[in-house]
Amino acid sequence: MSAERLEAPPLVDERSRSDSLVSPLPARSDFVLDVSNFSVVYGTGEHMVRAVNDISFTLRRSAVLGVAGESGSGKSTLVYAMTRLLRAPGLISGGVVNLNTTRSGDAGEETVNLVTASEKELRKIRWSHVSIVLQSALSALNPVLRVGRDFDEVLKTHRPDMTRAQRRERAAELVSSVGLNEDRLDRFPHELSGGQRQRIMIALALALDPELVIMDEPTTALDVVTQREIMNELQDLRARFDFAMIFITHDLSLLVEIADEIVVMYAGSIVERARANELYEAPRHPYTLGLLNSFPPMHGQRRELTGIPGSPPDLADLPTGCKFHSRCPYAMTRCRDEEPPLTSLGDSERSVACWLHVGGPGVSVPVELSRDATTKDRAHANGERP
Amino acid sequence: MSETLNQPTSTPVQLSARHLTRHFTTRIPGRFMKAKHVVRAVDDVSLDLVAGHVTAVVGESGSGKSVLARMLARIVKPTSGELDLEGTPIAVGARRTLDYASKVQLVLQDPFASNNPVHHVRHSLERALLLHGATKGTVDELARAALTRVSLEPPDRFLDSYPHELSGGQLQRVSIARALCVRPSVLLADEPISMLDVSVRLGVLNLLKGLCDNEQLALLYITHDIASARYLADETIVMYAGQIVERSISTALVDEPTHPYTQLLIASVPNPADPTSQAREKAEHTTFAVADVGCRFAPRCPYAMDVCRTSDPPDFTVGEGHTSRCWLHASEPEAVSEVAPPERRREGETTKT
Amino acid sequence: MKALRLPRSPKVLLGLGIFGFFIIMTVIGPWLAPYSPSATNFTPNLTPSAHHLLGTTSLGQDIFSQLLVGARATMVVALLAGLVATVLSVTIGVTAGYLGGFSDDGLSLLSNVFLAIPGLPLLIVIDSYLPVNSRSNSLVIGLVISLTGWAWGARVLRAQTMSLRNRDFVEAARIIGEKRIRIMFSEIAPNLLPILASSLLFTVLYSIGAYVTLAYIGLTSTAVWNWGTMLYWAQSNNAPLSGEWYWFVPPGICIALVGTSLALLNFGIDEFINPRLRDAGLTSRQRRSLGLPRRIRLGLTPVLRPAIAKKISPSPAKLVGQ
Repeated sequence: MSAERLEAPPLVDERSRSDSLVSPLPARSDFVLDVSNFSVVYGTGEHMVRAVNDISFTLRRSAVLGVAGESGSGKSTLVYAMTRLLRAPGLISGGVVNLNTTRSGDAGEETVNLVTASEKELRKIRWSHVSIVLQSALSALNPVLRVGRDFDEVLKTHRPDMTRAQRRERAAELVSSVGLNEDRLDRFPHELSGGQRQRIMIALALALDPELVIMDEPTTALDVVTQREIMNELQDLRARFDFAMIFITHDLSLLVEIADEIVVMYAGSIVERARANELYEAPRHPYTLGLLNSFPPMHGQRRELTGIPGSPPDLADLPTGCKFHSRCPYAMTRCRDEEPPLTSLGDSERSVACWLHVGGPGVSVPVELSRDATTKDRAHANGERP
Repeated sequence: MSETLNQPTSTPVQLSARHLTRHFTTRIPGRFMKAKHVVRAVDDVSLDLVAGHVTAVVGESGSGKSVLARMLARIVKPTSGELDLEGTPIAVGARRTLDYASKVQLVLQDPFASNNPVHHVRHSLERALLLHGATKGTVDELARAALTRVSLEPPDRFLDSYPHELSGGQLQRVSIARALCVRPSVLLADEPISMLDVSVRLGVLNLLKGLCDNEQLALLYITHDIASARYLADETIVMYAGQIVERSISTALVDEPTHPYTQLLIASVPNPADPTSQAREKAEHTTFAVADVGCRFAPRCPYAMDVCRTSDPPDFTVGEGHTSRCWLHASEPEAVSEVAPPERRREGETTKT
Repeated sequence: MKALRLPRSPKVLLGLGIFGFFIIMTVIGPWLAPYSPSATNFTPNLTPSAHHLLGTTSLGQDIFSQLLVGARATMVVALLAGLVATVLSVTIGVTAGYLGGFSDDGLSLLSNVFLAIPGLPLLIVIDSYLPVNSRSNSLVIGLVISLTGWAWGARVLRAQTMSLRNRDFVEAARIIGEKRIRIMFSEIAPNLLPILASSLLFTVLYSIGAYVTLAYIGLTSTAVWNWGTMLYWAQSNNAPLSGEWYWFVPPGICIALVGTSLALLNFGIDEFINPRLRDAGLTSRQRRSLGLPRRIRLGLTPVLRPAIAKKISPSPAKLVGQ
């Protein structure tokens, strides 16, 4: 059954997919993942660290959600905890993660709350409905097995009715769909290059035709040319297999290219959420602006950029109020005392957690963070920072 | 082949390398007897590091850029070639001296791995200071000064910290401070920002730039990120499979790349501002491949001609201080054949030979 | 090293307790002994009583006094031999591992030879060549035992050094011009501390065994009292056959207890030396207070019950404007 689906590439019209993103609340069957008020802590007592704070988002079918954040932002904790793969002392301290497991042909609706799911349910869901691609393919693949065996194991476990020949055929099909020759199946992981291993991981993740694929920094360890090839490959694969994707990276410029919607995380909370192009063209949160200005441009006059002062947040020792205020050039007194809530800005579907935007009367939004800012304003703002 | 950039004669060349070459011999598994394979990690590379001047070396993993840096720091011995420190030739086979260490320092890529987990920051700084002439009485003050120079303030907060208590950006600054403690005239930085968080990368780059400007350090910046090379460096050198394939003033190199490999590198950089410029041409599997004969890039090159597969191109001058190791820029008409230089070919061009 | 915290694991505390007890016995045992261990002026073959807590030997010596006095020689030789063997194994192992090449080949050959020759026969051969008067010298016996006990530790440390020698922090030390000897013993060796400590414990254990064995088969001077000589006399006087258990069981138990305490201490080494390891995982008490299952399965992140979650982490800002 899955092999048939593999061959039918229902090319999703870009426009219609983007439009569906704007609708305020998705129809029930429209979402693949719905996360609300999700929180994760590490340890307990005085050493407890809040790694993910009260996060909510909805991922629509076939859409790409980009999660941007640096070390300590909780981006990896979020996805590991969501899929219940986070190790001790990680604890889920609240929230709901609803996964829509309805296949396109199924009658009726079926959703599973991953937070309350039993081990048996989770085992059924993982890989066949949600799969994960990790940053380091070398440590994710078994070094003493030929990579073909990994495919064989996955298919044997989840598709017990397949014969050995069918499994081999399916593996060959998957490997060629990520642009590799079939003979790679007979290689050991160390005989493949970093890019080839990552392709194998992607092919493995797609083996059971999941609705959702989570990519945790899949290209960070790769060279820029290989990264480009894999990103192109992913675009093609999404067009063919029509899966939704959560793409995690610290490289915001890469996200802008691939994601429909982006959430920017800082110290365990979402600080800004927006459509990818809007985020890039008009960031509203000072942190997002700083991140965008941290990539040296490829053209134009050379001028000094400053990046973001200070160090990434230490979850065990967070400042009061807005967690970003100690690094923020726009910080006000209020930012030190009160944490700004994530607030919808009214225009399209974007929200930001910053007192500059929800501070009420008397607080003026700097031009480079306002909706009318031009790219020049923002670049200028960076150069002028103290 | 050693037509390096014409430096103004007033600025002193601190470290100069001529025809540096490093070959590694590996055994090919499964073959007995003639089971030797020579990897040319660095092949005939010449460059000058000038005081107050940043030189960038850009390349992918496997391009030999890290081996080059280690040869310049003399912790890897070259197979052949010459080094010349402040006008004094160095016998490349000789043992590295403390004196050389006090002139040429190397900062490594991974700040978490390059700081000993069992020693605090004070230990690593004081060792560097004591080895290079400081006395017991002054080390404490000098260590504080070194931390201040790399903007780790107040220094007392960091002196007694262990590496696991600091962030990547802070640790990389500690590594730079340790290198500065020996008062070098040449600083080699091997991918100093690639392991760091995005938001602190510019801070480290600006620190390096400031040291170069204010203290007349000669800086070699090794990176795989061509955008940061353009931002930081005066001159940029692109390496592929151990060879320099293109070199020029950084802005000129990125704005008008002439070598197909440089063009591929630039097109691969994520650039949301200009989505049309991306390397959208379907990747026909350009796995890192190196030809043994002819141009090493030929197996991946979309413009490869017959001559590329048979003979290794020399450096062609394509502009002022701009050389490109590609047959497309040969001036002899028979070599050019009917193929135009790539920068003109790229527009509206989709098919290839 | 920063201030050492007391270990929490009961195993380690028990190990520390037993080991501490025997250390105290080593220091003050001879003073506590009610009689001279060699004095033969008591009635032979007495069973344990208030006057003779462990009875007397068939020569009329007080067994309890022998046990207390014998602790010192046994422990001193074992600790000395363990220490010397560890120093030997660090020097040889780290040097071989770091330098590589010919030095490695030579030193590896040496340690392989010592590994291949069975320790005890070698010990017996060396010991039988010692002048008789030096056999009563604990220092000499300790050194001889350490000679046969360093090779295994050297092998382990060599392997570990080889994996550390190409690490970036070693390269960084080389770049600033640090000398080889300093890199080996100031940069690499501190990273081997957990292995070193564990190797020390096991060489001490080995040394006790070796020393007691030598004494038991009568190769050390019978003038020096240790637990091995007690067993030697018990055996030669047919104590096991005549049911005089109080003669040979107490030294046996002491040897076993010291060995057990060393093994228990080994559990604590990682916890003691690596502070980051201690914080990983939840203790069983924490799990109970959070209402979590006793065993946390891999691939099944535990979820706190809402009531508990509210108690330990009051939810911060709520989503507004949605």
